[in-house]
Parts: sequence; C-alpha cells; structure tokens
Amino acid sequence: MKKIFQHPTRDAKPTLWRTQGERENTPEFSESLAREFTAGATALQEQDDNGLSRRNFVRLMGAATALTGLGLTGCRRPEAHLVPFTKSAEWTIPGKFLYYASALPTPVGAVPLTITTSDGRPTKIEGNPLHPASNGATDAFAQASILDLYDPNRSKEITYNSATVSRAELDAFLAKVRTAAGTNAGEGLAILIGKENSPTIERLRAELTKQFPKILWVEDEAISSKESDEAFDAVFGEGNRPVYDFEKADVILSLGSDFLNPSETGLGFAKGFTKRRNPEGKMNRLYVVENHFSLTGGMADHRLRIPASGIGDFTVALAKVIADKTSDTDLAALASSYKGSGRTFSDAWIKGVADDLLAAKGNGIVIADSQQPVAVQALTLGVNKALGNLGSTISVAQTAIKPVSTLADLSKAIQTAAVKTLLILGGDPVYSASGTEFPNSLASVPETLHLSPFVDETSKVTHWHVPAAHYLESWGDARSIDGTISPVQPMILPLWNGISSVEILAALSGEKVDGPSAVRATFNTYSKDSSDAGWQGFLRNGFAQDTAWPRAIPVFNQAAALPLIQSAESVVASDFEITFLRSSSVGDGRYAGNSWLQETPDFVTKLVWDNAALFSPADATKLGIKDGDFVKLSAGGKSVEIAAMVAPGHADGSISAALGYGRRGVSHVMENVGFDVYPLRENSALCYRTGVKVEKLAKPAYVFATTQEHQNMEGRNIAREGTLDQFQKQPEFASEMDGEIAPPVSIYPNPPLTSDLQWGLSMDLNTCIGCNACIVACQAENNIPVVGKDQVRRGRDMAWIRIDRWFSSADHSEENLEMIPMGVMCQQCESAPCEAVCPANATVHSEEGLNLMAYNRCIGTRYCANNCPWKVRRFNWFDFNERPLDELYYGPLAPKGMAESLKLVKNPNVTVRMRGVMEKCTFCIQRIEEAKIARAVKAGASDVTKTPLPVFKTACQQACPSESIVFGNINDPESAISKSRSISRTYTSLNYLNTRPRVTYLARIRNPNPAMPGADLVGAANRSSEHA
Amino acid sequence: MSTLTTNAEAVTETPDLEILARPPQVLNNRDPKWVTGAVCSIVEGKTPLWWWIGFTIAATFAGIGGACILYMIVTGVGVWGSNSPCFWAWDITNFIFWVSMAHAGSMISALLFLTRQRWSISIARVSEAMTVFAIMCAGVYPAIHIGRVWFVWFLFPIPNNYGMWPNFSSPLLWDVFAVTSYLTVSSLFWFAGMIPDLSVLRDRATTKIRRFCYGIVSLGWLGTARQWRHYEMMYVLLAGITSVLVVTVTTIVSSDCATSVIPGWHATIFPFYFMVGAVYSGCATVLTLLIPLRLAYPQLKELITASHLDKVCKLLLFMGSCVAYVYVMELFNAWYSGNAFERGAFWERFNGLAAWYPITCLSINLIVPQLFWFKKIRHCLPVVFVLAILCNVGMWFERFMIVTTSLIHDFLPSSWHIFHASIVDILTATGTVGIFFTLFLLFIRFVPVINMSELKATLPDSQPGHAAEEGHGLKS
Repeated sequence: MKKIFQHPTRDAKPTLWRTQGERENTPEFSESLAREFTAGATALQEQDDNGLSRRNFVRLMGAATALTGLGLTGCRRPEAHLVPFTKSAEWTIPGKFLYYASALPTPVGAVPLTITTSDGRPTKIEGNPLHPASNGATDAFAQASILDLYDPNRSKEITYNSATVSRAELDAFLAKVRTAAGTNAGEGLAILIGKENSPTIERLRAELTKQFPKILWVEDEAISSKESDEAFDAVFGEGNRPVYDFEKADVILSLGSDFLNPSETGLGFAKGFTKRRNPEGKMNRLYVVENHFSLTGGMADHRLRIPASGIGDFTVALAKVIADKTSDTDLAALASSYKGSGRTFSDAWIKGVADDLLAAKGNGIVIADSQQPVAVQALTLGVNKALGNLGSTISVAQTAIKPVSTLADLSKAIQTAAVKTLLILGGDPVYSASGTEFPNSLASVPETLHLSPFVDETSKVTHWHVPAAHYLESWGDARSIDGTISPVQPMILPLWNGISSVEILAALSGEKVDGPSAVRATFNTYSKDSSDAGWQGFLRNGFAQDTAWPRAIPVFNQAAALPLIQSAESVVASDFEITFLRSSSVGDGRYAGNSWLQETPDFVTKLVWDNAALFSPADATKLGIKDGDFVKLSAGGKSVEIAAMVAPGHADGSISAALGYGRRGVSHVMENVGFDVYPLRENSALCYRTGVKVEKLAKPAYVFATTQEHQNMEGRNIAREGTLDQFQKQPEFASEMDGEIAPPVSIYPNPPLTSDLQWGLSMDLNTCIGCNACIVACQAENNIPVVGKDQVRRGRDMAWIRIDRWFSSADHSEENLEMIPMGVMCQQCESAPCEAVCPANATVHSEEGLNLMAYNRCIGTRYCANNCPWKVRRFNWFDFNERPLDELYYGPLAPKGMAESLKLVKNPNVTVRMRGVMEKCTFCIQRIEEAKIARAVKAGASDVTKTPLPVFKTACQQACPSESIVFGNINDPESAISKSRSISRTYTSLNYLNTRPRVTYLARIRNPNPAMPGADLVGAANRSSEHA
Repeated sequence: MSTLTTNAEAVTETPDLEILARPPQVLNNRDPKWVTGAVCSIVEGKTPLWWWIGFTIAATFAGIGGACILYMIVTGVGVWGSNSPCFWAWDITNFIFWVSMAHAGSMISALLFLTRQRWSISIARVSEAMTVFAIMCAGVYPAIHIGRVWFVWFLFPIPNNYGMWPNFSSPLLWDVFAVTSYLTVSSLFWFAGMIPDLSVLRDRATTKIRRFCYGIVSLGWLGTARQWRHYEMMYVLLAGITSVLVVTVTTIVSSDCATSVIPGWHATIFPFYFMVGAVYSGCATVLTLLIPLRLAYPQLKELITASHLDKVCKLLLFMGSCVAYVYVMELFNAWYSGNAFERGAFWERFNGLAAWYPITCLSINLIVPQLFWFKKIRHCLPVVFVLAILCNVGMWFERFMIVTTSLIHDFLPSSWHIFHASIVDILTATGTVGIFFTLFLLFIRFVPVINMSELKATLPDSQPGHAAEEGHGLKS
C-alpha cells in the first residue's frame, strides 16, 4: 500500500520557501511532496560517469550471459552430468559438505566409499556404512587415495613418441585400431589390464570378444593371486571362491596369510575376526605360521616363524597329524603326495595346533596366503575339509571369474610376433615385471599404448601415453569382495584431461560414451530395477541390492586336488629365500607417488619413505649385518642392492622386502625412495623365491627414517596385556598394574568441566590390529603436512595419531616374541601438563574437557611438547605447507607456496598451520562443533542440553576397520564410550602422573592354548623386569 | 711499618704470613696514586695489538652468531637440531649455562660486599661485568628460541584489546621476569659501582671527547661527602637486592625443569642444584678472565693478588663439592623413589643414546674441582686457568645433560630419539661466546677494571689509626 504523507497545511504564498516551485505552489511541487523519493532516484543515484546505471548494467550482463550460453555452448565439452560449482546447484549450501557414494576399485575388491565434497571438490573419503560388505571403515590406501587425485606430478598430456598430441589424435588412433581389428577379427590386438572387478569392463570385454574373437585379453596384477585362483577353480569348481566367516571361527590357523590386513583381503575379515576377539564373550584363538611379522602375526596367540617356502612342509606335517586323528584317507593321500623340502618342525607345536583345530571341528579356519603355491592351497583346503570347516565356517561364493591369460602368456604371444597392437590399461608392468621377459619383449610390439596416471617406466617405452583419470574423476563400477556392485562416481571433472579405461574400451568397441552411459548400460543388465529411480538409488546408496555373489556349500573335489599337489615342483631348500611383501605404505608401487602414504610408517618396521631387506636377528649376526648395511641379493642371474634391517621375530633363512619402491624418474615424490626388488621376482603369483645369495657390501651404512626407534617397553606398563585365564580370574588386572598411587592432589585448580558434553575416547588394544587407517584418516581430516624423509630422520614427523609398536618377549627369545600395536594421540588430560607451562596461554582447557590449541596465540616455545608425557604434540619446525620439502633449509630463498591442486585437498574446516606453531590431536573438534551446531539448530528455543546430539565420529574412529576406537560423551551413561570405559579391562596410561587423561585403553587379552610350547610366555608383555 | 710508595719494586708473590694473619689487599705497600695510575693506564694507554686481534676474533664469532640467528628466524627453528622428543636442546642449555654463570659475579660483588669480604673488592668489577654480559648472552635465547619471534610480546603482560594475559603459572613467564629484573638490577649495580671511578677517568681525561663522554656517564660525580653518603646507601641497597636475586634467579630458571613432569627434570633438588652449579661455573669463568688479564696488564698482579685467586679457587672447590653431592643425591633419589620411570631416566642417561654427555660432565665435575684441595695447584696459575676452563666445559655438559638426556629418554620409549646438534646450533653458541668476549674486551678498554675508589679505601693510609695495627682494613 502506498504511503500517504500528511503534510501540514501551507500558505498559498509562503514567506519562506526553499524552491521556486514551493513559492509558486506548482502542481509538480505538490506531487513531489507526496513521494518518498524523487522519481528515478535510484537510477540517478547509481548513474556513474559512463552513464551506465545499475539496471542497465544488469540488463546488459543478462543479455551477454544469455548470448554466451546460447552461442558458445557448442564449443564446450558437454557437462550434462556434472554441475559446475559456478552454476551453484540449488541443494548446495556454501561451506556445507555434500556426500556422494562411490568406491575405490582394488584388485581384491572395491572398497565402498562415501566421498565428502566441499564446494565442488572432494576433500575426504570415508567408508560407506550402508554397503553390506562395509562397516563404514576404510583402509589406509583408500584414505590416502584422495591425495593422488590432486597430485601435481600426475601426467597431464597425451603423448605419442614423447610428443604432446591432441585428444582427437588419440580418438583417431583408437578408431584406426578398431577398424583394423574389424578386418582381421582382432588378430594382433592385445589388451593388458589389471584386476578391476568392474562389471562394465567385463561387459565391454565380452562385447570386444564378440566383435573381435581373436583379441588377446590379459589380466594381471603386480601381486597376483593366480596360484590360489587356480587351486580354487580346480578344487571347488570354476569361479568358486572360498568365503571365510571369521565370526563363526573358534580356532584359526593362518599359514602365512595376513588376512587381518585390510589392504590384503578386504575389510570384512578384520571386522569378523575382532568381533570374536572379545574376552567378555567366547574368544577365538589364532595360530600364525609366517616368515615375517605381519599384522596377523601381531594378533596371534601362538606364532611360529618359519620361511615362507617351508609353509608347505608345515602344512603337510599338520595334515598328516590331522589325517591320522580323523582317519581321513583323502587328506593322507594329499599330504603324502606333496614333495616338500624335508623341513621339520616342533612336534609339540603341530600336535598342539592339530588338537585344538580338531577340538573345534567345524568351527575352525585354516587359511593360506594367496601367494603360496597351488599345492599348498589345495592341501590347506584339504585340511579344512578334514576338519569339517567347509560348509560351516567356509562357504563359497559362485563368482563369474574365469581364468584369463596372464602376463606370461602375453610375453609368449609377443615373442611369436602375434601381437601388433598392445593397449596397457593401468599398471606399470615394465617396472613391476622387471624380473620377467616382458619388459624386453615389449619393444618388439609395433604399436603400444599405456594408460597411466604418471609418465612412468612403461609409458617411457610405449608409443602412446594417455593420462589416466583418477577414480574420483571418472565413471565406473566395481565389485566389492562379496560381489556387491558399487558405482564409481566422478566428484569433479578430470583435472588434467585424464581418460578412464572404460572410455578407451568403449571407444574400441564402438560404444559412444557420454558420462555414465556405459555404467548405466551395465547397470541395466544386472539390476532388477533399471528405471531412473533404480539408477538414482544405486548412485545414492553406493551399491546395487542383491548383487553379491551367490553363496553355496563348498564341494571338495579330491580328484582335482590330488594332481595339483602331485604335479607341483618340489621346493628346493636353500640357505636363503626372499619373500616379496605388499608394502603397507605403497602397495605394489601404485601409491608410491602418494606422500601421505610414503610418510605412513610400515606396520612393523615403522620405516617411512623406504623399504629394506629384513633379516632375522640370528641371520644378521651370522652375516655381520647391522641396520642400514647394504647387501647384494642375487638370484637367477639378477641382483639388487638394498639396505638391510634387522627385524625381530623374522624367520631365519629368510629375507623379506616390500615391493613398490625404488622407482626412478616418475614423480618427484618417488625419487630416492627405497630399493626396487621386482628384478628378483620371476613369478608375480608367488610370494617367495628360494636360492638367494646374500653378500654384504662394503658401502657406508644407509640411514633409515623410522618413526619409532625403541621397541622395548623397558618394563614400563604402557601397553598392557594378559591372558584370558588371568583376565577371568582378575578382571581388573590392567588397572591394578598401576600399583599403589598417591591420592590425586593438584597445585592448580583444575579447569572447570561445566558442559553437559564431556568428550572421551577409548581404544581397544585387543582389537587394534595396527593397520594405519586411522593415521592416514587423521592426516586427511586435519590437513597434517608431510615433512619428508630427512625430517623424519631428525624426529620431526607430524602425525597427530601414531601407532607405537611394542615387541615383548618374556624370556627374551625370538620364539616367544609378541607384537602389540598401540595407538597414541593427545590424551586430552583433564589436568594437562602442557597447559600449565605455556607462557602465552595458547593451550587451554575447554569446559567440555578438551585440551585446546589456539594456533593464533602460539609463539612456539615448545615447552608444552617437552612436558607432554606422551609426546603427541607436533611442532612446525619449518613452513612444511609452504616450502618444497627438499628446500626447507633454504629459508626465504626457497620458492613459497603450495601447488594449486594440493590446496584443494585441504579440509576447509581445519586451519593450515604455519611454521613455528605447535599442533596436536583435537578430537576432531571441527566435527564436534558441526554436531553441536546441528543440535542447536534442531533444539531451537527448547533446551539444547536435552536435545540429542547427531551421531558423528572422529576421523580415526570412522576409518578403523576393527572398530577399536570409541569416541563420545562420557557424561551420557548410555553412550558407547561410557560403556566402553566401564569394561573391566580399562586402564589409563601413565596413570600415576595424575593428569587424568580422557583417552583410556582396553588391555589386550591373549588366549593361549596351555598345551602349546611356550604357552606360559604368551600375554606376558608386562611380566619382564625393569632395568636397574 | 713501611710507608706507601709509588715506585716500589713489583713483587707479585704474597709474602709468607703467620697463620690467621690477613694478607694485604694491595701488594708492595702501594699508595693511592699508584693504584689510580695502574688501573687508569689500562683505559688511557694505547690499544694493544692483542686487544685488536682478540676483538676481531670475538666480534667475528659474534657476527656469525648473529647471522645464524637471523637465518633461524627467517627459516624456522628446524635449522637447529632440536626434534621430538628433544624440543629444547642447545637453546635452553646455553640459556641456563649463561644465566647461571652470571650468578658468581653477583655473589662475589654483592654477597661478599655485604658480608664485608674485603678480598672480593679487586675482582668484583670484573665479576660484575661478567654477570652483565653473561645475562645478555643468556637473554639472546629465550627471545629467539621460539617459533614465531615476532609474537614474543605475548610473553609480557601488556594490556591489549584481546584482554589476554600471559599464563602466570608457566615457569617460562617467571623466567622472563627473573631474567629481565636480574639484567636490570645487576646492570644498575655494576654501573652504580663505577660512577666514582668514571669520574676519575673524566678528571684525568686529556681530550675533550673523553672528558665529555666520561663526564656524561659519571653523572656529575664530585666526590663530596654528601654524595658519598647517598651513594653508599644506594650501593648497599642494590647489593641487598642483587644478593636476593643471586638465589632467586637460578631457582626460577631451575623451575623450568623442576615443575615439569619429565623424569630427570621433576625433582625438588633442582633449585639448589642450579644454584651451586651456577656459582661453580661463575667462579671458573672469573678465574678464566682474571688470569689472562693479569698477564696482559702486569700491574694488576699487585692488585688482584695470588691470594685473591686462591680464595676464588677455594670457593670453586666448595661449590664443586656441592655439585658432586647433588649428582650423588640425584642418583640416590632416583633409586630410592622406586619409580620405574625415574629409575629408567637415570639408567638411560648413563646407558642410553647419549651416554657420553653425562660421562663427560661427571668425569670433569667430580674430579677437576677436587684438585683444588692442593695448594700447589691453586697457586700454579696456568694449571688453574686450564682447570677453570675445564670446569666450564663440564658445567656446559651438565646443563646439556639435564636438558637433553632427560628429554630423549622420557616416559614412552617409543618416543625416544637421539639429538644431534646442527651447525647452526654450534655457530649460534660460539656466537654468544663471541658476544661475551666482544663486550668484555670493550669493557677492558673503556672502563676501569678494578673498583679503584673502594680498593683505595682498603689501603693502610685510608684508615688512620688502624693502619699501623693491621696494615689494612676499613672500619665501616
């Protein structure tokens, strides 16, 4: 409604006037009085010198934008399926995260993921808790894979003979290949691809094979499971794969298998195993036979260290005892046909295991490393059959996996000149198959293409190099270990023109790829609901319902198993064997460019930025080797020089070395990192090679960078453990180890803890397997910088959560060595020693019991870190974020600034710290605050303290595959953390200091078998006496 | 009783005296004029060549040290060797080393002044100079060792718009107060003691510039009875305050360690430990400075007599024995505590990653001072000089041992990590030595190295009626 201004009555001829109009009392003047603003006031006000008014500007810009949209879109790549952030999708709220379901394809099976995106860029990766094969956890690799997306060292151009070419030329090349294949049914065309577990790639493969029947399709991985696949195909029938239900297993025997390592066998095993590790319930028992300490070996109740090549002998010895006791003639036949090396083992050990497995008949699992030879696999399955485990704890998944050609077949084909065009989609076979014929034969292929994220060893010798799209920037799909299909969704357009293997295969098959069309086409083939709604549900939930492999009861085919064992070559005993390990930091080398992972310590050696040849202490003494000494390992005419490391608990006569290191000229991050042992490996499916000669070199010792140099608790009860028996008799044994403690007295008044929310964290040492997932999750969540090898050597790593790995042996013998991983982060002491000593008041306590760090106030006296008993505070010795890591000492002379792409990976809710500032674990305060804000919004006018807090987890807790970390409000008696803290195994580390930490630990319980040799020395980490 | 002379033959040996007889403060019955000339000639004479050589070397080291500090500030604390768990190393070691060394100077000049120990007069000025310069060297570290030097003002209770105060429970803040007040008071005390002597230089000045400069710093001193009355009152008061600081400053510095929770630091013996160590190292430094000074200016041998040095040696012996006691008590307490961490800290100190620091420290500090039981050694000045330097080396290692070996072997063996000094650490430390000697050489050239006015008051002539009986002594 228009406002009418009531003016006082005026004289017709006023004596005082402001304008001529008022004096004359014109109608224009009368009208102007009624208006609030003069007509055109806004236009007048905003008119600038150019005569351009605001309205005109908007009008012109609108027209210009419209014309741009109309006229120029034809020049741009269609962006139909991704919404650029500049167009601000209506569901986004700036500063709020969006979450999308996706999956990380791995050779073992996809890791189902939820990707956090912030303002259009992915910033964090979590597990997908909706997925049937996931508990919302991830492994370290999945956590770190986000950094690979933004790696500025990624290749950015398509090249042909090292010259940059356009995408059109690549398309023309692929069209040419397709045309040529059409004329000769694909003869001479070979495709080498990794184990992608992707239904779309399977569909395209079928399509290509249909169009070009003579195409050679090769699938291989640097670490392949060919031996075990062969055994499973034969014994259980083609495509059938065993599925182990660790939740049902009472007694487990691992024959070299690191089944608890999430990167090795998928996340589900750790989850199932740790559920049964509960000493309050019915606790399982784990026997491990292995050559090097693995995560699984660290969890073992009884561990036997033998060379990897002797595991077959051990299995035979065990099988014979079991066959005897069960009168199983089939097993006896299998065992007697194995040609072993005649190695013998402690009878008591074997009898003890056999009896225990027999006592738990039908409730046991015997699992062999998938890289053990096919004969050992068959024998292991035979043992399981004799023990009645098949059908109870072990079922089979009826997969569609069919045997395919391997790299060896490809090499043979190349040698017979049967390959004219070779497309290598992913992998780096010139590097990872350097122990085989392949790299040499590759040169004779007339046309080669390599799709790879880096211009790597293979790309340098192929004609074509095509930059590979990261899984976060391309469409795809993948099956997880149980067969459930997950979508792989792009979160961002390819940063550097990356192309996915799906795109290349589709181009070959003549299929036009437009965004998700290839994946959608596959989806329509297996989905029950292929409507748009079904498709949207698939993308939203991150998996397709009921696509898991069908399960069946395994049928053991004795007739097929026997020849596998009979035809196996016998293992030749030798002084030394070498075993090739999947690196816990770089996998098979695929993550070597990832600086987060390079700086994540090895599970056991705590080595970063390097690998080493691991020797047992006895062998090291015999050969006169100390840490860092160079050795030359030779086998089959090839040799590598590598620095040695003495590894407690390692088997004698065996050397272990992680794969994936020693790459040269690929990426800045990979330079001068470790030693390449691939040349020694002739078979990608076997984890060991015998007949290795060791020669100590007279070179100056190498200095390793490790994050933990002292392995012995020195009689201090830091990590606490006991046996099941002890725990049942004395449930509070862990806290009782504190002994007599003086009554708590504080000189200073403790900070008031007035909030209704009091945060606490509990870590269960009994289920913590030490898998590093939490470390990388924390690094990703909290923008923790990488410091480089040199700085780690100087003891300046920045990890907010670290895993201390303790070795203990009650009788100081290698045989009874135990490993205990213990995660240590800021203990958030209620009476924090760091707070009292900070002169600047930069570290203070919150009313919620958090020990806060005010970066702005910190001047870097480092007194807080000195006074921290857990040494969990980290200092920015240099500008780690802003300066190149190899030029830290150049000060202002070094270039300043972070690579643009690396800025995108930072969590926007966490400050990036500058040099001179102390930092530490905050219990993910940004997540706490987010939850509190959400609660306050929900509460509105009502009492906020009575409103329940939304469910949230700290980054470490969310990533933990074994659910060992529990976080929450200790004021709420119903919370998981309160329940966890009330478990009788709870103890506080360094309790006598009276700092009252908010982090509590649950003691580890071992479940020794009294019949085993050395049973009384199990679970005795706290039994050894102190010094002095 | 011989009369005082200006031209007596210089005999530098203290005459053999009967037991309980007090040795003369000035040998050869020198008269006041001779004393004035002997002291002032050092300032007034031509700058000797050795001074220039020494000054160049010291200033070069100081310059390199300054460059290192600048490099550290623009690059980051990482250029030092410090790490986790050894977040403090040479920085705090040198801070404690220098600030402790200062204490002997204050003790000699203030405490011995108040207790009327006349023998301290001739060495007091040098000792005070040492105190002031050592505090300056010490003060370098707390200011620069932090990560963000440009925010060092957060340490001071400056009213600000955040309404934020420093944390008064932090010993580092106490250090700030302790060291600044110590520097202020000891500088004042040192300067106040110089005023009458500076006026002598003013009066003897031959050039206008000298007269003007010394005139400014002597603050219009005329030597009237009224001025002397006020002066002496002030001097006694300052001496009193300084004496308190002798005890409190090291006590506060020791609380950096003692109030922490780290085994090897967390001990109630620390204030005493630091105090005796402080005087011990300060006495050693005084000897290190005086012996070459006497050599360079032979006339000083009659003023700073062998008997004076002998007394410093005895003080050194006493403090050294106290230090030895503390070492033993520390080990005993660790054992007696029955605490695994406390025991472990000391076990690792001697068996762990860096056993050679404590072994160097102990082998020097337990043996060297005990040699001063022997009169022959106390009187053989070249030997005393070498031993005094050794004592300071030992004390540096003691500070280093306390700071680093406790840190590198703390609670969780997983955090243990050896410390290696970087070249920047070393050059910064030698830089502070350079700063110290630069200042000391300037001090020699521009200021009377002995408190003439006070010393002259001890001459037999100055006490009519007593001179004939005792030959010395001032009736106060």
